[in-house]
Amino acid sequence: MGTYVARRLLLLPLVAFGVTVLIFALLQFLSPAQRAALFVTNPNQLAQIDGIIRKYGLDKPAHVQYWIWLKELARGDLGWSQTARMPTSAAIGTFFPATLELTIYIFIPVVLIGLWLGTKAAVHKDRFVDHFSRFVAISLRGLPSFVWGLVVLMVFYGWLAWFPPGRLSLEADLYVKSPAFRPYTHLLTLDALLNGQVWVFLDALRHIVGPAMTLVLVEMALLVRVTRSSMLEVLRQDYVRTARAKGLAEPVVINRHARRNALIPVVTLSSLLFVGLLGGVVLAETIFNYPGIGKWGAEAAVQLDIPGVTGFGMFVAMLTVLGNLAADILYASIDPRIRLQ
Amino acid sequence: MNFHRRLLMLLVFTLVVALAGFNGVAQGQAVKNPDTLIVQSFGDPESLDPAWEYDTTSSAIGTWNIYETLVFFSGARTDLYEPMLATAVPSVANGGVSSDGKTYTFKIRQGVKFSDGTPLTAEDVKYSLMRIMLMDRDGGPSWLLLAPILGFDTQTTRDDKGALIPDIYDRTNRAIQVNGDTVAITLKDPYSPFLSILATWSVVHSKKFVVANGGWDGSKATLASFNNPAKPDVATLFDKSAGTGPFKLERWDRGTKTVTLARNDNYWRAPAKLRRVIYQTVEEFGPRRLALQNGDADILGGTDRSDQPAVTGIPGVRIVDDLAQLINSPALFMTMKIDPEGNSDVGSGKLDGNGIPPDFFSDIHVRRAFAYLLDRQAYIDQAFRGKGRLGNGPIPFGLLGYAPRGKWYEPSKDKAVAEFKEAWGGQVWDKGFKFTLSFNSGNIGRQTGAQMVKEAAEALNPKFKIDTRGITWSTYLGLYTKSKLPMFFIGWGADYPDPDNFVVPFMHSTGSFAKAQGYKNPEADRLIEQAARETDPKKREQLYFRLQELAYQDVPTIYLIYRAGFVVMRSWVKGWYHNPMFNEGWEYAYRFSKGQ
Repeated sequence: MGTYVARRLLLLPLVAFGVTVLIFALLQFLSPAQRAALFVTNPNQLAQIDGIIRKYGLDKPAHVQYWIWLKELARGDLGWSQTARMPTSAAIGTFFPATLELTIYIFIPVVLIGLWLGTKAAVHKDRFVDHFSRFVAISLRGLPSFVWGLVVLMVFYGWLAWFPPGRLSLEADLYVKSPAFRPYTHLLTLDALLNGQVWVFLDALRHIVGPAMTLVLVEMALLVRVTRSSMLEVLRQDYVRTARAKGLAEPVVINRHARRNALIPVVTLSSLLFVGLLGGVVLAETIFNYPGIGKWGAEAAVQLDIPGVTGFGMFVAMLTVLGNLAADILYASIDPRIRLQ
Repeated sequence: MNFHRRLLMLLVFTLVVALAGFNGVAQGQAVKNPDTLIVQSFGDPESLDPAWEYDTTSSAIGTWNIYETLVFFSGARTDLYEPMLATAVPSVANGGVSSDGKTYTFKIRQGVKFSDGTPLTAEDVKYSLMRIMLMDRDGGPSWLLLAPILGFDTQTTRDDKGALIPDIYDRTNRAIQVNGDTVAITLKDPYSPFLSILATWSVVHSKKFVVANGGWDGSKATLASFNNPAKPDVATLFDKSAGTGPFKLERWDRGTKTVTLARNDNYWRAPAKLRRVIYQTVEEFGPRRLALQNGDADILGGTDRSDQPAVTGIPGVRIVDDLAQLINSPALFMTMKIDPEGNSDVGSGKLDGNGIPPDFFSDIHVRRAFAYLLDRQAYIDQAFRGKGRLGNGPIPFGLLGYAPRGKWYEPSKDKAVAEFKEAWGGQVWDKGFKFTLSFNSGNIGRQTGAQMVKEAAEALNPKFKIDTRGITWSTYLGLYTKSKLPMFFIGWGADYPDPDNFVVPFMHSTGSFAKAQGYKNPEADRLIEQAARETDPKKREQLYFRLQELAYQDVPTIYLIYRAGFVVMRSWVKGWYHNPMFNEGWEYAYRFSKGQ
């Protein structure tokens, strides 16, 4: 187990190298003036475009630029992200906690609802719960998240004014930025509780509900469907029949004997979902003006912010490797038959 | 149509109706956050350092809210100034401007303090001007002071290879002289718009503060390490403030893209009524609109004309429309020397009905034909809800030199046909053409214009083919700088309120648009240079009128519209006013307050 994990961790630098080389190779397709667009946002700057290209070395071949970037990296500098208006490493450090917090608030409900509804649907196959869950899952999934985002925003902010966009209200934001508040984890809801400020906790929660609700609606569908089909398969197995024949109570049969064995595909899917959410939920973050990493990553990509995109790409690639590793370890704990050698 | 599509359409429809029609809880609402002004718009500032910033958002935050200039625009005027950090507006009559028009002398106001409590001195003024001129980051505003003070051959502090010009420090240091509490600036040549530049770009900051925070000490020895910093945060005032203005920077939270200004209690006049001014970047219009409706935003910036109906009729919301703006955008440009290499925008590259030759637009008849073709009033009505005046040259309405009776081409199919028949010895009409008309994607106004040109041309002759193409800004820029775009939209907004700022890019052979188009008319160059030196407004105006005639005769560019702006705000915002140099609507929040 230990060596397995170590081996997978050794992959990390390799993945990072691959991703960054790929990004720099893609640069070959862009002209220097195109890349200068990041710094020339206004026609009034057009006269100075040659200087900008020279200053940022945009006319140098991609491998030279990559070498410069590597040298900076060796000094622990991921470069300046013009879209974030701060160094790339600082940008990751700033935007990631917000996304992590949002992800947790999405992931837990998605998994709980997904497992519960999926199990119910499988157990009561072709009954009302099954049809209902299928209908709900497909119709929620059928609409893109930005449509749900707008609906949620419209109803819960526009009409009811319950769940405003952003991350904190004015007063809470001023308080959080004051010296009285200690940011232990940069997860605002957690920090608020650690600081003993329940009102800040509630305020942060109020702001997270909108994007979280949107994504729970959209993301739970897949988990419901996968849990259901996986459960159906397991429920047909002989050992389930045996368990029932032994006279075990139905909840024990379902929850202990059947579901545990149905979890493998669910874990796979969940780990992908988790990493996917961490990598950024661009649309929800944009609609709810939530300062997460996905919104920044997307903006950096669109505006050709090369240090930003490279750093973001590298970070997400590493997250993916780590997420898969976590899933592998989880498999082993769920199913002892899986050997990690 | 399947069920999902129908459901989707139904929901989107409901959403649109809801967004347009529902006006929420705003009615009779009490003033929210009564001592804080909240502005929401889509762009975030690049840097808050006055020597670095060259974007409208950064200027709106800093120039007159955190900092102040030597002189300032009087009310809504752009040609009349009032003293700000200087005690008087210099003129030849009061001796502030020398008789040769080269030296401007300012007596610096006494008793003014920076927000950290230290007093303002004449030395700070000199230092600030030199710092703005000599930091000179690529793509920055330094040229706006460098060129008029050191002469128009000095647009930058570096040579073509990027090396610092050796005597640049001495020349700057000589041009700005401190004598007691006066500062005298001597220009290389008389430049009549100079005061209008100072009203926007003489942003005074504290030398003591900058030096204490590790910034440039103002000496020649350290200039090389200060000039053209690699990264914006190297500039000391990137996220700090050291100004004399009514507000000071409390925090720039780049994570949430929020800038918080707090009242400057050391202000030299009565302190501002607002305790805080908060600028929030919200990229999407939908959330911005809801924030306005709920009273969580007081002023909305960056509202497109096409979004105007969505903010109209919300209780408690005021729209101020028909605001004068010094913007000439968009205009339709034709490139006379197109780079044909690997360029699919010119089709076959020949006049064979499947393309155009690279010098297609060098024939005046082609350009005139397009000028006759486009019904510009219809365009203004369609793309700008009729808000704007017909353009007729580089100088927009509201500036000296705008020609109210300047001629332009009336839309006429017959005349367009006649011109096309004359173009390229009749070949254009007989064989037809095919090229791409580009706009930067996301710009609805330009997209509409492209579509109208296409439809008009293709309706004239079935052999005429125009593809319209929206491309991202970066690609647009890349193609533009290489003269790859046969026909395209772009525009210009005033750096300072003077015609010279417009005629150079549009019509001088070295100007950034004219150069890319390959337009060169020696008479235009001569008129532009002569008008810049001319101090008599009447004579200047005549020179610009003549230039407008050239714009009409040569028609390298089809001028479309001088736009009128509008600002959306809660009606509880009091003390608001407009100056054509304001782009965002809250550039000078000093007298703003909130109340029913």
